[in-house]
Amino acid sequence: MDFYYHPGSAPCRSVIMTAKALGLELNLKMMNVMSGDQLKPEFVKLNPQHTIPTLVDNGFSVWESRAILTYLVEKYGKEDDSLYPADAQKRAVINQRLYFDMGTLFQCFITAIYPQIRTKTPAPPEEMEKVDKAFKLLNTFLEKDEFVAGSSLTVADISILATVSTFEIVDFDFSKYPNVAKWYENAKEVTPGWEQNWEGIMFIKKFMESN
Amino acid sequence: MPTLDLYYMPSPGASRAVVMTAKAVGVDLNKKVVDVMAREHLNPDFVKINPQHTVPTLVDDGFVLWESRAILIYLAEKYGKDDSLYPKDPQKRALVNQRLFFDLASLYDGFSSYYYKFQHTGKFGPPEAFKKLETGFELLNTFLEGQVYVAGSNLTIADISILSTISTVEVVDFDLAKYPNVAKWYANAKKVTPGWEETLPDLLAMKPFLQPKKD
Repeated sequence: MDFYYHPGSAPCRSVIMTAKALGLELNLKMMNVMSGDQLKPEFVKLNPQHTIPTLVDNGFSVWESRAILTYLVEKYGKEDDSLYPADAQKRAVINQRLYFDMGTLFQCFITAIYPQIRTKTPAPPEEMEKVDKAFKLLNTFLEKDEFVAGSSLTVADISILATVSTFEIVDFDFSKYPNVAKWYENAKEVTPGWEQNWEGIMFIKKFMESN
Repeated sequence: MPTLDLYYMPSPGASRAVVMTAKAVGVDLNKKVVDVMAREHLNPDFVKINPQHTVPTLVDDGFVLWESRAILIYLAEKYGKDDSLYPKDPQKRALVNQRLFFDLASLYDGFSSYYYKFQHTGKFGPPEAFKKLETGFELLNTFLEGQVYVAGSNLTIADISILSTISTVEVVDFDLAKYPNVAKWYANAKKVTPGWEETLPDLLAMKPFLQPKKD
C-alpha cells in the first residue's frame, strides 16, 4: 500500500498508528506540501482533492484520514475487530467521536493552535475558548469509560490521540481536564505506533524552533 | 416498525438529512423540536441526553447518538433493508465515508462560514469563506464527472447528506449553473431521494433568515 503523507500532520499519524495496530506495512511516500508536491499532476490524478493523507491500496485510492482508518480495519482487521466493532451501536459511538474529532477538536487546533505555530503570536481568546469547550466535552465523554468510545481501544482513540498529542507543540496544559489527562497517559502506552506519532510531533517542534 | 425519537430543528441540512434517511429505510421518527434560537438546547434535560447539546440527536430505545452523518450510517446499518444506502464492501463504503467527511469539512463548512454567518451577524462571511465553498463545488463537480451519484452507481447516504447541504442554494443567492455536473446530479437527487418533498417547506422556511432586507 502506498501512503502519501507528512510526519507533521496529525491525520497522517493516525493512519500510521492504525496500520501498525493492524500489522500492515505502508510504503511511505513523504509529501513536501510546502514545495507543492501535492499539486503535481500524478498526485492530483490519485486524489483530485490533493490532500494528505492519501492511501493507494492496489489501485484503490482513498483519502480523508478517518475514512482511511475505518477502511483499514474493515478490509484488513479481524472479524468484529475491537478497533471498529461490527455492532451498529458501538460503531455509531465511534463514528460520532470521529466526527467530533474532525468538526470540533481538530477544527479548533486548526483555528486556535496552528496560527500560533505559523505566526508565533497568541490565539484570540474566543478561539482558545473553543479549545477549552472541546476539551471539556472530551473530558465528559471520558467520564464513564476508559477509552473515548467504550471499554477498549478503537480507531476513535487513535484519531483523537493524534489530535490531542499535537497540542503538545504549544505545551498545552491537560491537567485542567483530568479524564483527558488520564486517558492520554494510558493511550500513549497502549496505542501501537505511538513512538512514530511522537517523532512527527518533535519534527514540527524542531521546525518551529528553527524558523 | 420501530419509532425513534429525533430531537431536531426542522430547517438545517443536518436534520433534513436524518429525516430523509429515516424515510429511505422506513423508520418512523417521533420528532421533537429543540428551538436553538430560544436556547432550548441548553435545557438541563437535553444536555443530560447529549452533553454536546447539538441537534439532530437521535434516541433509539435508550441509545443516544448525535452528529448527523454518524446517525445516517447508524440508520442505514441498523434498519436498511439491504446495503445499498451504505454498502458493505470496504472500498465502496470508504468512498461513501470520504464523501461524508468532504461534505462536512468542505461543503457544509463553506456554506456555514459564508451564508449562515448572515443569520448570526447580519453579514455574509469573508471572501475566503466563499472561495472555500467554490472550491468545494469545483471538487464535487469533479467527483461527479461521468457519475449519476456521488459515491458509486446508486443512491447512498452520501447523496442524501450532500443533497441536504447543497439544497441551501434554494434559499441563498448561489449560481449552481457554474457546476454543470453538480446541477445535473442535484436535479436528479431531488427526484429520487425519499423525503425530499416532505422536507422542502422546512428548507424554504430558512429563506427570510438568510436574505438581506431590501430597503
